[in-house]
Amino acid sequence: MRKLGSVGVVAVAGSLLTLAIAAWTRQPPAQAGATITGKVKFTGTKPAMPKIDMSEEPKCKAKYPAAPPTEETVVVNPNGTLANVFVYVKAGLPASYKAPAPSGPVTLDQDGCRYHPHAFGIMVGQNLQIKNSDGILHNIKAKGTGTKNRPFNISQPTTMTSTRTFSAPEVMVPLECNVHGWMHAWLGVLPHAFYGVSGADGTFSITGLPPGTYTVEAWHEKYGTQTATVTVSGSETKTADFTFAGK
Amino acid sequence: MSLRLPPALRRYAEHPFWQAVGLLVLAYVVVVFVIPLLPGSAIVPKSVVLQYMATVLVGVLIYVSDNEERWARFKEPLGALATEPRLKLVRGVVLAGVTGLVGLVTYGQVRTTVAAPPNLRSIHPAPPTEITFRGHSVTLTGLDNPLRQHPESAAAHLVVGKRIYYQNCLPCHGDHLDGQGHYASGFNPIPANFQDNGTIAQLTESFVFWRIAKGGPGLPREGTPWNSAMPRWEDFLTEREIWSVILFLYDQTGWTPRTWEKTVSSER
Amino acid sequence: MTNRVMFCVTLFGAAVSTPLTAYRSPLTAQDTVKGKAVYVKWCAGCHGDTGAGDGAAAPAMLPRPRNFTGAVYKIRTTASGQLPTDADLMSAIDEGLPGSAMPAWKARLSEAERRDVIAYIKTFSSFFADTSQHIVPLGFGKEPGGGTSAQAVKTGRSFYDSIGCRKCHGDQGRGDGPSAPTLKDDAGFPIFAADLHQSWRFRGGGRTEDIYRRLRTGLDGTPMPSFSDLIDQKFLTDEELWRLSQYVRSLSPAREPEVRDVIHAPQLGGTLPAAPDDTTWARVDRYWFPLVGQVIRKPRWFAPTVSGVWVQAVHNGRELALRLCWDDRTLSPDTAWLAFERRVLETVASDDSTPPVAGLWPDQVAVQLPRHIPDGMERPYFLMGTGTDPVYQWRWTSEPRRTVAGLARGLEQFDTLGAAPESQAVWDHGEWRVVLTRSLATPDTANELQFVAGRAIPVAFFAWDGSNGEHGSRLAVSTWYFLALDQPTPPRVFVSPVVAMALTLGLGFMVVWRAQRRAGGSRGTGAGVGAGAET
Repeated sequence: MRKLGSVGVVAVAGSLLTLAIAAWTRQPPAQAGATITGKVKFTGTKPAMPKIDMSEEPKCKAKYPAAPPTEETVVVNPNGTLANVFVYVKAGLPASYKAPAPSGPVTLDQDGCRYHPHAFGIMVGQNLQIKNSDGILHNIKAKGTGTKNRPFNISQPTTMTSTRTFSAPEVMVPLECNVHGWMHAWLGVLPHAFYGVSGADGTFSITGLPPGTYTVEAWHEKYGTQTATVTVSGSETKTADFTFAGK
Repeated sequence: MSLRLPPALRRYAEHPFWQAVGLLVLAYVVVVFVIPLLPGSAIVPKSVVLQYMATVLVGVLIYVSDNEERWARFKEPLGALATEPRLKLVRGVVLAGVTGLVGLVTYGQVRTTVAAPPNLRSIHPAPPTEITFRGHSVTLTGLDNPLRQHPESAAAHLVVGKRIYYQNCLPCHGDHLDGQGHYASGFNPIPANFQDNGTIAQLTESFVFWRIAKGGPGLPREGTPWNSAMPRWEDFLTEREIWSVILFLYDQTGWTPRTWEKTVSSER
Repeated sequence: MTNRVMFCVTLFGAAVSTPLTAYRSPLTAQDTVKGKAVYVKWCAGCHGDTGAGDGAAAPAMLPRPRNFTGAVYKIRTTASGQLPTDADLMSAIDEGLPGSAMPAWKARLSEAERRDVIAYIKTFSSFFADTSQHIVPLGFGKEPGGGTSAQAVKTGRSFYDSIGCRKCHGDQGRGDGPSAPTLKDDAGFPIFAADLHQSWRFRGGGRTEDIYRRLRTGLDGTPMPSFSDLIDQKFLTDEELWRLSQYVRSLSPAREPEVRDVIHAPQLGGTLPAAPDDTTWARVDRYWFPLVGQVIRKPRWFAPTVSGVWVQAVHNGRELALRLCWDDRTLSPDTAWLAFERRVLETVASDDSTPPVAGLWPDQVAVQLPRHIPDGMERPYFLMGTGTDPVYQWRWTSEPRRTVAGLARGLEQFDTLGAAPESQAVWDHGEWRVVLTRSLATPDTANELQFVAGRAIPVAFFAWDGSNGEHGSRLAVSTWYFLALDQPTPPRVFVSPVVAMALTLGLGFMVVWRAQRRAGGSRGTGAGVGAGAET
C-alpha cells in the first residue's frame, strides 16, 4: 500500500514536471518587443459545413457522442469571429533579420479523425511532430506545391509520432489524410516566429516584434487573404483587425 | 585449324555421321531459337520448322552420299547400331523411341483441335480511284498532299498534324508511331507501324488519305474490314486536318511518300 | 516563367562552360540542348512543351502524363518526397509505366538520347539544381525466402489487415476500399487505388521487389504513403514488410496473362455449373481477353476501368455455359461513387456534343456472336455489327439484374429478341462473376447463333463500368476471338497411332534383322574395319 502510494507520488510529480516542461517549451521565448493583436471578424451568411460520416471509423465516431462533427473549412465562433485564420508578418523585417529555428517542436495531433490544430505555423527547420492519437490508419501528406518545399506522405497505421521539417518559407503547405478525405490542415512555414492563428475567440497575437513597419497578412483557406500595414515601436501593442465576408 | 580438339572429340567431329547429326541439331537450334531473336522476326511456326528441317536433311544426305568412302563411313554407326551385340540396349531404346515418336506424331495429326481460322488479309489493298469525302468527291489517282504546295507554311501544318496525332491516333499507333500504343494489344490486326519500311514508306499520300478518311469500314473485302479498328476519320477530322496529320507521319518517321511521277511515267 | 529563366541560364551556362566540362561529367549542360530536341519530338505531345504534363494527348488520359515542373515522381528508390535518382528516371523511361499510356523507350531511343532527355526533364524544376537536395536511394534488403509459401502469404495478409491497406485497396485488394471513392492525386484528378490482382499493370513493375520498394518509398503525388517510418520506429520489421509484399504479389497470376485466340469449352457429363461459384469452374481452363477504350465511334471513351475479362466455357452436348469474371471495384449503381464519377467525367476529354453527366448507371457486359457460324473468314463488323449485318449479343446488366439477347446493329441500335440465356451473377469484393447458360440449339435459327461442336465460333466481349460513367458508346471493347466446343476424343483417333507404331516397330525389326544377317555373312572383314575405326 505504502509502495503504491509512493509510486503514485512519483507519477503525479512526474506528470506535473512533464506539464511544466511542456508549458515552458510551448511558451514563446520571453522577449522584449512590440505586439500586434487583433480580431478576425466574420460578416455575411455563415456557410453550412457538411457533417462528416465517420461510420467507417467507430473509434473516431465514439469521440463525438453528442453530434456528428462537421467539416472545418469555415469555423465561425459563437461571438461572430472567424477561427483558423493564419496571421503573419509578410514583409517589413530587415533583410538581415535571422531567427534560429526553436529547438522545441510544433505538434500536429490526429485525434478523432481530425487535425489539431487545423491551421498553424512553424519555422523553417523547426521540427513538426506528427502524432497519431487515434491508433487507426492515417496517412499524412504534405502536398508539393511546386518550388518551395518537397512533399511527403507518411503512413501511420498505429499510435506513433513522425517528425519532419520544412526547408523553405511557404504560406501555406496543405496537409491531408487520404484515408479520411475530410481531414485537412494548413501549415504556414516562415523564417521568423511572427505569426498567430485566430482561435475560439477570434483573436490572434504576434509578439516580440522589433520596431518597424510591417505588412501583416491574414490568410483563410476559403476566403483568401487580406493585408494590413502596422507600424510598431518599443514594446507597444497595436491592434489590427480583419474582417472576412461570407460568400 | 588452330583448334586442337582432344582426340576422342576429334574422332566424332571428323566422322560424317556425327557431322550430319551436328548439322541437324544446329539447324534446329537456329530455326527455333535464334531466328525469333532477330529484330523484326517472330516465332517460326511448327510446319515451317518441319519444312526447313526436311530441306537441311536432304542437303546433309546429298553431302554424305556424294563420295563413296564418306557414305560408307556415314553408314558405319548405323550398321553398328543394328548389329553390334554390345549395343543391344541402345538398339532397343532407339527402336522403342522411334516407335513412340511416330505414335505421338500420328496422334497429333489425327486429333481434332479447333484452331483460329487463318486470317488472310491484304495489308495494302488496291485503293479506289475516287472517294466521297463528306459528300464531295475526291480523286485519289495522281493526288498529292495539297499542303506541300506551300513549303513556307509547312511548319504550321506540322504543328496541327502533331496535335491531331496526339489527340486521336496515339492510343493505337503509339508514341513512337510504331503501332504499339497502349490500346494496340486489344485489337487484331494490330495497328499499322509507320516506322516500318512496309507501310507509309511504300505508299502515296493519297493512299494514306484514303485509309484515314474511310478507316476500317472503308476497306474492300480482302482487307478484312470486319476486324479493323481504324475509325472512319471523316467523321472526326476535316480534309485539311487529315492532310496535316499525314505531313506529321512522314516528318516524324523520316520517310518520304511514294510519288506519282514514277508510277505515271512508268505507265507511259 | 521560372522554368524559362532556368532554361536560359542553363543554355548560357552551356555556352560558357561546355569546352571545359564536356569531357568531365556524363550529364553536362550541353546534353540538355540535345535532350530538348528529343523531348520536343517524342515527349512533348503528352508531357507538354513546358513539361507541365499538359500536351495535346493529356486531356484524354487518366492517369495524366507526369507534370515535371514540381519534380514529384511516383516511381523512385528514394524516401518519400525526395527527388528521384537519374537511375530512377532512366528506368521509368526504359521500361515505361505499365497500365498507363507511357511506353517503354529502351528499344525506341538510343541510350544517349534517353540520357540527354533526362538532363532536359530535370531543367523543368528548380529542385534538381538545388544543391541542398540530397538524392539518396534507400537501402533495400534482400527478399526473404519462402515467399510463396502459405505461411508467408498468411503472415503478409495479417499485416495487410493490421496496417490498414484495405482502407483503399479493399478487403481482397481490388481497389474497392471505403476510402477509394474519395481519392485524388496532388493535381486534384481522381485516382484509383491499384487493383492488386493485376500486377502486370503496376506502374513501378509487378515483382515482389517492386512492390516492396513502393511500400518503402510511397508513390509521391498520390495518396499512397511510405511505410518507411514504421520500420525506422520498429513498429514493423523489414521482413514483415517483405511478407506483405509477397502477399500482394500472390494476388496476381505468376505472369501477365497470355492472350489466346480460341476459348476451348470442354464437354462435361450431366448438368452444367450454372452458379458462378460452382466448384466445377475451378477445374476449367480460363482465358484472358484484354479490353480497351472504344475510340472508334463518337462519343469515344478514353478511360475505361475494365482492363480485361477472364472467360471460361463448358458444354454438355445440349447446353453451353460461359463464365465471365472481371475486376470492377464498384457494384454499380452506387451513390458512394457518384462524386468520383463526376470528377472522372470532368477530367477525361469528351467529343460528345453535350458534356457527359454523371449518373447512376449499371455495370454491363456483352458477349457478341455472329448470327451464323461463318463458312469463310468473313464475319460481321467487330464493333457491334452494322445496320445490314447485325450481330447476336447477350447483354447482362447489374441493375436490373438480368440478361437479354438481341441483335446489335452498330453501337446505337439494339433490338431485343424474345429468348435470352439464363444468368447468375455475384459481385464479390471488386469482382463480377457471371455465368450465362443457353441451349446449343434454339428455335430462332435466323437470328440466334446455333452452337456446333468442333467449329471456331467468333466471339467478342464488351464491358461497361457504370460508376465510371460508362454507358452507351462509353465502354471497353475487344476484337473478335473464337469459341470452340470441344468433343470427347472418339476411339478411332487412337487407332491410327497404334497402327503406325506397329508398322514402325515391324520395319525396325526387319532392318535390324537384315543388317545382322548380312553382317553375319561378312563378319570377318566387317569386324576388322569396325575394330580399326574404334582404335
